[in-house]
Amino acid sequence: MKRAWIAVAAASALLLTACGDGGESTPTDGASAIINVGSVYEPQNLDNTAGGGQGVTEALNGNVYEGLFRLTDAGTVEPLLATAHTVSEDGLTYTFTLAQGVTFHSGKALTSADVKASIERVTAETSKSARRSNLSVISAIATPDDRTVTVTLSKPSISFVYHLSYVWIVNTAAGDLSTTADGTGPYKLGEWKRGATLSLTRNDAYWGASKAKNAGAVYHYYTDATALNNALLTNAIDVVTSEQSPDALAQFESNPLYTINEGTSTTKLLLAFNDRVAPFDKPQVRKAVSAAIDNAKLLTSIWGEYGTLIGSMVPPGDPWYEDLTSVNAYDVEAAKKLLAEGGVGGGFTFTLDTPNYDPHPTAATFIKSELAKIGVTVEINTITSDEWYTKVYQQRDFQATMQEHVNDRDVVWYGNPDFYWGYSNATVTDLVAQAEAAKTEADQAALLKQANKIIAEEAASDWLYLYPQIVVASSSLSGYPLNGRNSQFFVYDIVKS
Amino acid sequence: MRRLHLIAGLLLVTVIGGAVLMSYLWLPFAPDDTSGGRLTPPGGDHWLGTDKLGRDLFSQLLVGGRIALGTALGAVTVGGLLGVLFGLLAGFASRWLDDAVAVALDILIAFPTLLLAMLIVAGFGASLGAAVLAIGLAMAAIVARLTRILVKQVLSKDFVTAARISGISWPRIVLTHVLPNIWPVVLVNLALQAGLAVLAEASLSYLGLGTPPPNASWGRMLFEAQATVLTAPVAAIAPGVALVALVIGINLTADGLRDLADPTRRRSR
Repeated sequence: MKRAWIAVAAASALLLTACGDGGESTPTDGASAIINVGSVYEPQNLDNTAGGGQGVTEALNGNVYEGLFRLTDAGTVEPLLATAHTVSEDGLTYTFTLAQGVTFHSGKALTSADVKASIERVTAETSKSARRSNLSVISAIATPDDRTVTVTLSKPSISFVYHLSYVWIVNTAAGDLSTTADGTGPYKLGEWKRGATLSLTRNDAYWGASKAKNAGAVYHYYTDATALNNALLTNAIDVVTSEQSPDALAQFESNPLYTINEGTSTTKLLLAFNDRVAPFDKPQVRKAVSAAIDNAKLLTSIWGEYGTLIGSMVPPGDPWYEDLTSVNAYDVEAAKKLLAEGGVGGGFTFTLDTPNYDPHPTAATFIKSELAKIGVTVEINTITSDEWYTKVYQQRDFQATMQEHVNDRDVVWYGNPDFYWGYSNATVTDLVAQAEAAKTEADQAALLKQANKIIAEEAASDWLYLYPQIVVASSSLSGYPLNGRNSQFFVYDIVKS
Repeated sequence: MRRLHLIAGLLLVTVIGGAVLMSYLWLPFAPDDTSGGRLTPPGGDHWLGTDKLGRDLFSQLLVGGRIALGTALGAVTVGGLLGVLFGLLAGFASRWLDDAVAVALDILIAFPTLLLAMLIVAGFGASLGAAVLAIGLAMAAIVARLTRILVKQVLSKDFVTAARISGISWPRIVLTHVLPNIWPVVLVNLALQAGLAVLAEASLSYLGLGTPPPNASWGRMLFEAQATVLTAPVAAIAPGVALVALVIGINLTADGLRDLADPTRRRSR
């Protein structure tokens, strides 16, 4: 019997500990160094049009695959495979000139036919790319010669070039792109050991002016944040692409061997109401719920002193950012009044579909205790991310949910009444459409600012906070991206000294 | 010496059980009171400090104890009733039915409790009821197998043959001859299983398959404390210690009970 409870005690002790990997560091540096990158986002597959998730963007975007344009870490769009482009007077015809001497990793030369096929992969019926609907404005793609691509749009789209930065130019003849890759980037795909690592090796035949500054990179994947940080402490990895909690940072803060960087993030945590169903079809009720939740306290609870409050879907990095934190600010008395105006003064009960991974359960617990103060009862229903995708995103079978939205410039989804949250306001839809058809970026920004103000004032969702983007790296590392823009992580400029 | 086990075990279980009962009358803070500040260290008003949301950890621990003890009682009830019932049926059944039940029980025992729980959670959604049902079913298989063997032993005894010859009905034989002879062993086994049930519930909640938030299961508290283990170690240690203390307490009690129930062992001391 004694043995039985020793086993019990040992099992409990196991629950308390999490262990790191055995430390192995690469002694080489400079151009021959391999950069070991640690992340919690393992790709589901290697194809960004087949639901590869943010992991595939993090590992392959800009590293293995390139687009006609590149969205830089600072958020600007710059030419990449398209060295020049012209737009017709009516804004409907784009002519792109491709860079010279570009070859895929397989040795095949890049032609305009590859560009056409790559864009059509994203707009295809079967594509799971989030840009599919944005690029549906394309009515025709022509390839007058090997280095020229002409795209005709059905209506003007000022974000067209920006959206093209999401389109990988791939060699469609390379086989099944969900398990293999053939791009034009500074790295070739090495080996992908599912559940463990994905390696990239420098492409010495890279077409660009500057080749990768290191010999390659290995992405190490962890399911547990503690194990990820232990790997950094034991030198198994050199850099963590994004920290998941502030409490692990204490062990790096006072240590000169590590550098903590806080970049500007675009990831927002949303309490998304189903704006189609009662009582959330009434703006007063949504405003009441938004005003009853102390976002500042929630942010401190989860992120300590990191992170930023936002009053709308627009993060500070977007060209149409405006500080709207004072709209529907925390005010319990006002919330009670709004609730009565919405016809549910006596309170009501709703189910909150909560993804089962951090920080959602903690945030949901907080929301439940906050809303109890205005007589609103929250029933927390934890679901997996797969369930979220089918139940909430596809079937729209929910009252309210929580989700993080990682991309920049995504306020435009509120202009689409068919989106999962079902926000429908004709003025907003019209303003978003006008912004897309705008002649200049200044006009576009002004129109989206106007739309965003309405969206915020009607509390289409409750934008709880903007995540911090924290990269922790070994102090011997330089040249790594800080902002994790749209979860990209370019490794080609990283130098290990 | 063996008595000491029983006394120590009962003491642990009584202290924890008493604290949990007390929690229904009085708690230092309401479980959803978030006024404590982020990760306040132990001391002052908050004896064990607070969690990330500012909730009092001692209150959470007491409320978590309700779930731990409730699961143990619930699972033992489900497992005990179903297990004894099926064990009796198998023990009395004809040869081929008995074999069929035995094979079914072996399969159920070989099936991991966690996997069974995941299946049930997939069907009913994550809740305390689903967790108790899963743990109870897994327990029922073990109890049923034990009961079946015990019943077979008793049925081969001469006094049962004598009772059958004198025309006593089967239900009566179960009540007057079988159950009185098997209950001590079954009871000790159930007590042991109760300790395992507490651990199983903690594991399920740790994996997010047990009680949904905001309920403070000890397993869920361990999960939440994991990210902050370096800055707030007490948040992880407290539920861990509570869990170990309760399980050891239950096991020591079962151990002591077995010695009381087993006359041969008692005499040999």
